[in-house]
Amino acid sequence: MFEARLVQGSLLKKVLESIKDLVTDANFDCSQNGFALQAMDSSHVSLVALLLRNDGFEHYRCDRPMTMGMNLTNMSKMLKCAGNDDIITMKADDAGDVVTFMFESPEQDKISDFELKLMDIDSEHLGIPDTEYAATVKMPSAEFQRICRDLSSIGDTVTISVSKDGVKFSTTGDIGQANITCRQNTSVDKEEQTVIELQEPVTLTFALRYLNSFTKATPLAPTVQLQMSKELPVVVQYLIADMGYVRYYLAPKIEDEETAGEA
Amino acid sequence: MAGGKRAAAAATKKKKSSKKKAKQEANAAGVGDKSVEAAGRLLSYDPAKPVTWKSGEPVPYLFLAEIFESISETTKRLEIAELLTNAFRTILAAGTPEDLLAAVYLASNTIAPQHEGVDLGIGDATLIKMLAEATGRKESAIKSDYTKEGDLGIVAMMSRSTQSMMFAPPKLTIVGVLKEFRAIAKTEGTKSVDQKKGKIKKLLVAARECEAGYVTRSLQGKLRIGLAQQTVTTALAHAVVLHAETKDGKCADGKTHAELADRLGAAVDVLKQVFSECPSFDEIVPALLMDGGIDKLAERCHFRPGVPVKPMLAKPTCGVSEVLQRFSDVEFTCEYKYDGERAQIHLCEDGAVKIFSRNQEDNTPKFPDVIRALPTYLQEGVKSVVIDCEAVAFDRAEGKILPFQILSTRGRKNIDEKDIKVNVALYAFDCLYLNGENLLQKPMMERRKALYSAFKEVPGEFFFATAKVSRDVEELQVFLEDSIKENTEGLIVKTLDATYEPSKRSLNWLKLKKDYMEGCGDSLDLVPIGAFHGRGKRTGVYGAYLLACYDEESEELQSICKIGTGFSDEALESLSNSLKDTVIDAPRGYYKYGESVAPDVWFAASQVWEVKAADLSISPTHMAAHGLVDSTKGIALRFPRFLRVREDKTPETATSAEQVADFYNAQATKQEFNNGGDDDEF
Repeated sequence: MFEARLVQGSLLKKVLESIKDLVTDANFDCSQNGFALQAMDSSHVSLVALLLRNDGFEHYRCDRPMTMGMNLTNMSKMLKCAGNDDIITMKADDAGDVVTFMFESPEQDKISDFELKLMDIDSEHLGIPDTEYAATVKMPSAEFQRICRDLSSIGDTVTISVSKDGVKFSTTGDIGQANITCRQNTSVDKEEQTVIELQEPVTLTFALRYLNSFTKATPLAPTVQLQMSKELPVVVQYLIADMGYVRYYLAPKIEDEETAGEA
Repeated sequence: MAGGKRAAAAATKKKKSSKKKAKQEANAAGVGDKSVEAAGRLLSYDPAKPVTWKSGEPVPYLFLAEIFESISETTKRLEIAELLTNAFRTILAAGTPEDLLAAVYLASNTIAPQHEGVDLGIGDATLIKMLAEATGRKESAIKSDYTKEGDLGIVAMMSRSTQSMMFAPPKLTIVGVLKEFRAIAKTEGTKSVDQKKGKIKKLLVAARECEAGYVTRSLQGKLRIGLAQQTVTTALAHAVVLHAETKDGKCADGKTHAELADRLGAAVDVLKQVFSECPSFDEIVPALLMDGGIDKLAERCHFRPGVPVKPMLAKPTCGVSEVLQRFSDVEFTCEYKYDGERAQIHLCEDGAVKIFSRNQEDNTPKFPDVIRALPTYLQEGVKSVVIDCEAVAFDRAEGKILPFQILSTRGRKNIDEKDIKVNVALYAFDCLYLNGENLLQKPMMERRKALYSAFKEVPGEFFFATAKVSRDVEELQVFLEDSIKENTEGLIVKTLDATYEPSKRSLNWLKLKKDYMEGCGDSLDLVPIGAFHGRGKRTGVYGAYLLACYDEESEELQSICKIGTGFSDEALESLSNSLKDTVIDAPRGYYKYGESVAPDVWFAASQVWEVKAADLSISPTHMAAHGLVDSTKGIALRFPRFLRVREDKTPETATSAEQVADFYNAQATKQEFNNGGDDDEF
C-alpha cells in the first residue's frame, strides 16, 4: 500500500511539467524514504533524477518499496485537472495496476478521483557516482532560463566556461555569435546572488535543446546550481524547499575539428 | 546486317553448348568440383571461433552486421554463400533457434512472412531526422552527406556522434532488432508517427560501429549488399546440415567431401521446394532444428490453405510455331490469358476466405463482393480449397470483359460492398488444394478435374478459363485470334502432365500474347529513375524518361532505355505531377547508367511502367543485365513505347536483369530459328 498526501498540490504539477518534455515513460520508485524517479531521455544524452522526501508530505505511507511505470504525458493530463490550491493524494495498491490521484479543494467542497493505468517499463537503475566537481555555480534560476532561451535563438549549442571571475555562456550560429558573462555578485538578497566555487577553470559545450528543457523546472526553485568537471556531464540542480530536488545530468558535446565547423 | 545477327546467334549457341558440356561433366562427378572444394572449406570452419558472447546469451546484432559488411565487400556468389552459411553455423552453435530465425529474416531483408503484409520502408526524411537526433548532428549536414554518398546507410555509418552519452544503452541483439522492426512496422493509429520515430531513434542510439548502417538500410527496406533470397535459403540449408552432421571439421559418418557436397546440394533443393510451398520461416526454421531436420522438413511444413504459394509463371514465346516446336512430343492445352489481376483464393477449413495477389499480398479486403459470393460458386461437399484464377473487370449487363485499366480503378482497402462500381468476374484455371489434399504435385490434368469438380460456373461472376486441346497450327492460330476478340491478352499454353511449380517461370507454361503477331517480344515492367525536361509541345512537363530494370542479385537499378513515345498528353501531365515529388538531388548509389544518358532530374524509384519495345540490342551506354550477356556492355531496348503504369508492382518486382538477358537470348534464338527456316526454303 502506498499513500502520499501533498497539501501544496501545485508542487506536483510543477514537478511533472519539469520532466515530461524530457522523458515520455518513466518508473516512479516509492520507498519508505520518499517518492523518486530516475530516467534518461531517448537519446541517452540526459538524465533526470527526482526526489520528494517522505517528510515533505503531510501524510506518507509506503509499506514496501514499489515501482510504478507511468506515461508522463497521461499523468500530466490528469494533474492538469487539479486546481492550483488543491490538496493532492496519490494512492496505489501493492499488486494493483493503477494509481489514483485524489484532488481535494481547499474548502473540502469538491473531491475528484483520477485513476491512471500503470505500465511495464524496462529500465535499469543506473548508479551515478558521487564526484567532487571542479566548478560549482549558483545563480538565479530565472536568469539561467533567460540565458538559455536567448542563446538558443542564435545557435544550437552553448559553451559554458567557468573562471574565478564569472561564468561565460557563448554560442555561434549562422547569423553570428553571442556571449553572456555573469560575474560573481554578493547581493544582499540571497536569491539574487551569483556565487562561484572553483577548484579549477572548466569549459564544456552542450546542446541547448536539453538545457532549455531543464529550465522548465524554474518555477520550483529561485536558484539553480550548475556543477561541472572536465569531460563529465554537467549537473543542473533545482532544490525543492523542504522536500527534495530535481537534478538533471547532461553529457557534453564531443569537440573535434570535423564537427566544429558543423556546430 | 543479317549476317551479323546470324554470327551473334551462332556465338550464343556456342556459349550454350559449352556450358552444357561443363554441366554434363559436373553431373558425371555427381557435383561440380567447385562445390566439392567449397564443402572442404566449409568443413574447416570452426563455428565456435567467432563467438564473442556468452553461449546462450542473445546473439549480438553486431555479429550479423559485420557479416553483412564482409558480404558487401565481395561480389562472388560462392563466397557470399559461404560467409552467410558460416554465420548461421556460429549462431546455431552458440545461439538459440530464435536467434537463427531472426538472423534469417534480417538477411532476407524481410521481417515477417510475406503474406502477413508487414513491411518496413521508412521514408528518408524520417530517417534523416532521427539520425540527426540520435547523433546530435545537424539535419542539413546529414542531408548534404546523403547527396554526396547517395546511400543513407553509409551516411549513418559515417555519422560519428558529436554527443557523448550519460550511459550507453544495452547492446543490440539480433532478436531485439527484429522485434523492434516488427513493432515499428505494426505501429498504427493516432500518434503512430511519433511512436515509430521513438523506436527508430532508440535503435540508432544503441547502434555501434557499422550497425547503424544496416539498421538504417533495413528500415528503408533495402539491404543492398548483393545478398539474394536464394543465397539466404542456400546458406540456411547448408548451415543446418553442417551443424547436425559434422564435428571438429569432419563429417560425423565419414562422408567424403564429394558426398558432403552432394548432401548439401540436396538439402538446398529440399529447402527451396518447401519454401516455395510454405513461404514462412516462422514454420520452417523451427522444423529444421527438430529431430530429423531437413529430411523430415517436407512432412512438417507443407502447403495449406491460408498461406499463399508463389504463383507459377509462364515463359514468353514468339508465336504458335515456337510453341509447337517446344511441345512437339507432349500433350498440351491452351487457355485464354485474361487481362486482370492474378488472385489465389483460399477457402480454409474454418470457412475463412483469403485472397492473395501475385506477390502474396493479402488482397482479401479488396474483394468483399467475391468473398460473399464465393459459397455460391462451390459444389456441395467442398470444405477447403485453393484455386488460382484471374480477376477481371466485367460488364454484367453486356456480358463482356473490360480492360485492365477499369479494374485498377477499384479501391484497394476498406471497400464497402455498396460502393463497388466495377464488378469483377473470376476466371479459374487451376486448383492447388481440395478438401485436405495438396494437389501441387499432381499433373495439370488432375488439377483441372479437381477444379471442375469443386466449382460451378455462375454467369457474369465465375467462369472456368476457356481452354482447348489441339495440335493443329491453323486451329491454334484461330483460337489465338478468338482469344483476342474476347478482350483477353492471348493464350497460355500448358503441358498436361506438369505439376504446379510455385514461383518458377517454367517451360511447362508458355504465354502467347497478341503482341507477338505484330512482332516479337514481351512487354517489360521498368522503373523510371530520371527524366528530361520537355521542349516545344511538352514544355512544362517531362518530355522523356530514363527507365531501368532491377537486378535482384546486386539490388541495382540498371538503365535500359530512354522513352518518349506512347504517352498521351494526359499521361504526360499526370506522370510529371506524380513523379515531381520523388525528385532527388543526385542519383542513388545503386543506379547504374552510362554517363551519356544522364537525365536532367533524378527520381527516387517509386513507379513501375509497362513498356513495349521493338527489340533488344547490346548497348555501350545502358547498363541493363551488364555482365550477363556481354562482359562489360549492357542491353538496351529499341523503340520503346509506354503502355501503362503497373500499380500492382514495386520497383523490386520490376523486370529483372536476368529476364532482360533471357529476352535478349530468346530473340537471338528466334532469329536463329527463322534463319534456319530460311535455309530450308532455299
